[in-house]
Amino acid sequence: MFKLSSEGIDFVKKEIERYETRRSAIIPCLYRVQKENKGWVPPEAVAELSQLMDLPEAWINEILNFYTMFNKEPIGKLHVQVCCNISCCMNGGRELASHLNKEFGVQGNEISKDGNVTITRVECLGSCDTAPMMQVNDNYYENLTPEKAVSVIKELM
Amino acid sequence: MPKCTINGQEVEVKEGATIIEAFKKMSEDIAHYCWHPGLSVAGVCRLCMVDVEGARGPQIACNTVVREGMVITNQSEQIKDIVRWGMDFHLINHPLDCPICDQAGECGLQEQYMKFGKYDPEMGLQKVKKRKVVDLGERVVLDSERCILCSRCVRFTDEVSKTNELGIFNRGDRSEIGTYKDKPLNNKYSLNTVDICPVGALTSKDFRFRQRVWYLKNADTICNGCSTGCSVKTYYNEEGLFRVKPNHNEDVNGYWMCDEGRDLYKFANKESRLLKAKKFDGSTWEEVSAGSAVKSLSHQLLETIKETPSKVAVVYTGQFTNQEYADSLKSFDGLGVNNFYHWMNNQASKDEFDGLLIRGDKNPNTKGLQNEASKFSGLKKLENLFNELESGNIETVFVMAPENISAYPEYESHFKALSKAKNFIWMGANQTSCYESTNSSNTYLIPLKSYVEKSGTFTNHNGTDQNFNYVTTLVAGALTLSEAMTLFEGQDLDFEIRPKIYKTMKNNHFTSDRGEL
Ligand code: SF4
Ligand code: SF4
Ligand code: FES
Ligand code: FES
Repeated sequence: MFKLSSEGIDFVKKEIERYETRRSAIIPCLYRVQKENKGWVPPEAVAELSQLMDLPEAWINEILNFYTMFNKEPIGKLHVQVCCNISCCMNGGRELASHLNKEFGVQGNEISKDGNVTITRVECLGSCDTAPMMQVNDNYYENLTPEKAVSVIKELM
Repeated sequence: MPKCTINGQEVEVKEGATIIEAFKKMSEDIAHYCWHPGLSVAGVCRLCMVDVEGARGPQIACNTVVREGMVITNQSEQIKDIVRWGMDFHLINHPLDCPICDQAGECGLQEQYMKFGKYDPEMGLQKVKKRKVVDLGERVVLDSERCILCSRCVRFTDEVSKTNELGIFNRGDRSEIGTYKDKPLNNKYSLNTVDICPVGALTSKDFRFRQRVWYLKNADTICNGCSTGCSVKTYYNEEGLFRVKPNHNEDVNGYWMCDEGRDLYKFANKESRLLKAKKFDGSTWEEVSAGSAVKSLSHQLLETIKETPSKVAVVYTGQFTNQEYADSLKSFDGLGVNNFYHWMNNQASKDEFDGLLIRGDKNPNTKGLQNEASKFSGLKKLENLFNELESGNIETVFVMAPENISAYPEYESHFKALSKAKNFIWMGANQTSCYESTNSSNTYLIPLKSYVEKSGTFTNHNGTDQNFNYVTTLVAGALTLSEAMTLFEGQDLDFEIRPKIYKTMKNNHFTSDRGEL
């Protein structure tokens, strides 16, 4: 079962002092869990945070379930988020996404067999001027073509 | 105090009051789901739209504070159209399973759709399917498809019960009410969420599918579960009581009541009642009507009591009305009896209070008993009576037994201990198996009326007198204490001492009638 590291616990303790309300610290703390747990937040982490932060479980669960940037299921080593919103879509975002799906042999949000990638379609990532684009883990890759995207990912593997 | 005009009528409201409160004050119709007078404002259902003269566009009434001179209406065609469409949006993903929904007949969605709805839905899209029959613990069931996400229940657990179990998870049309990992909603006030849920998303396990609400009548009374004395409404038909809901009473319980208080109607229903009087002469039990039992008791004992009143003890519990205490104490006092004992259950926890409603004194009228008894010879501790019985100083014991036996774990043992008296008269509303094991060879069990079958007054923990009136008859022939004493004194019952009508405290404005929000 997942448990925060002792640095993680210190982080949470610091974070709850940082804002006017402890409730405001939920997002950074969930991010921390996600980082420590290979990119996803397991449900039992909510109970642990609830204890640490002295907040109701329901409040933390609300935040966890509201935002798509928190993964509720295990994901691959690389989380590839392909923007399929309007600007990217007009510039071939959807085609890019299906190309990557085919290339890495995955569908929906599943993890590739080698455990390396999960490809998800997402809404606007705020980089419309460089459409189409994708985000791999914490970095943006912009002005993509399908081939360019594949080589970026392969390089990161 | 600002004045405003609501649909052409001028009204003065409290400083800081919102437009919807002004509408309520004027009893003007206004569509709304998320606003509840006992909770904070959420402003999420967007149905309470009004036109305010001079404002840029329609406003929501629940989150707009009345300012001096505001001219407000919700009668314009534009507003009506907004509300109609608002209703339709609420119904996009609603399953419309009214025929199998327990809320039907008192559902805010049904009621308000009839009042404000569009009647010809234009939504052709597939509905989002959500979870049905989700078990939320001991008392509540959730159907999240029916939920309109008004967030009342969430605000209740956050603001009133302060237990924070409920939340809205996911987002957009996938949003769902729930608890983290479906943990049970086992707080002591959970059924209030069922009351305030405007639709059939939260229903009561106890009441579900037992009656269609339109087959029930309702009447106001006072909860007899503890010394808070919440104002409540009972729902009943000729078969008995089916449920209890809180009435609004700002001075006592606000809009709420506790879960435990909702179960007490069961003690009033026939299944747990003593239906006939029973006489035991040492070998056989005889069933007679209550009235004739008291009369024969009177023939047998009245003279003896008058001769040796010091050998008589009367045990009271705090579960009767002030009128019954006054009448019976007066009768006994007239016979010369002055051994009055107070059977106090949970002595240790009687002063506890959970900060919201629930009090440790599980009797509705301990104060009333003490007040009335102080006008006579006062109350002695019950423990002393056991000694007196042991030493034979007391021969006759009358017990005015409690109605809410769940709060009296010592009910059976006390029955046995007290039945060591030579003459043992047990007056109470309930039937339990312990009666068989009486120790007295002159035992009388006299069936009394339950709190819904009589009128009277309870004095609650802070001395507030609360009147309540007769609701219905469940056990024909059962007596009130006053009636029993009248018969015991050798008089007949005339109809004048049958239910008196007392002026009750307050009428409830918001959660009262079925269907109203
Ligand atoms: S369950 Fe009922 S009270 Fe709770 S949000 Fe849904 S409709 Fe409102
Ligand atoms: S708080 Fe006391 S009076 Fe109120 S409902 Fe509960 S048991 Fe009844
Ligand atoms: S639409 Fe793709 S980044 Fe904005
Ligand atoms: S009652 Fe005003 S928005 Fe719901």
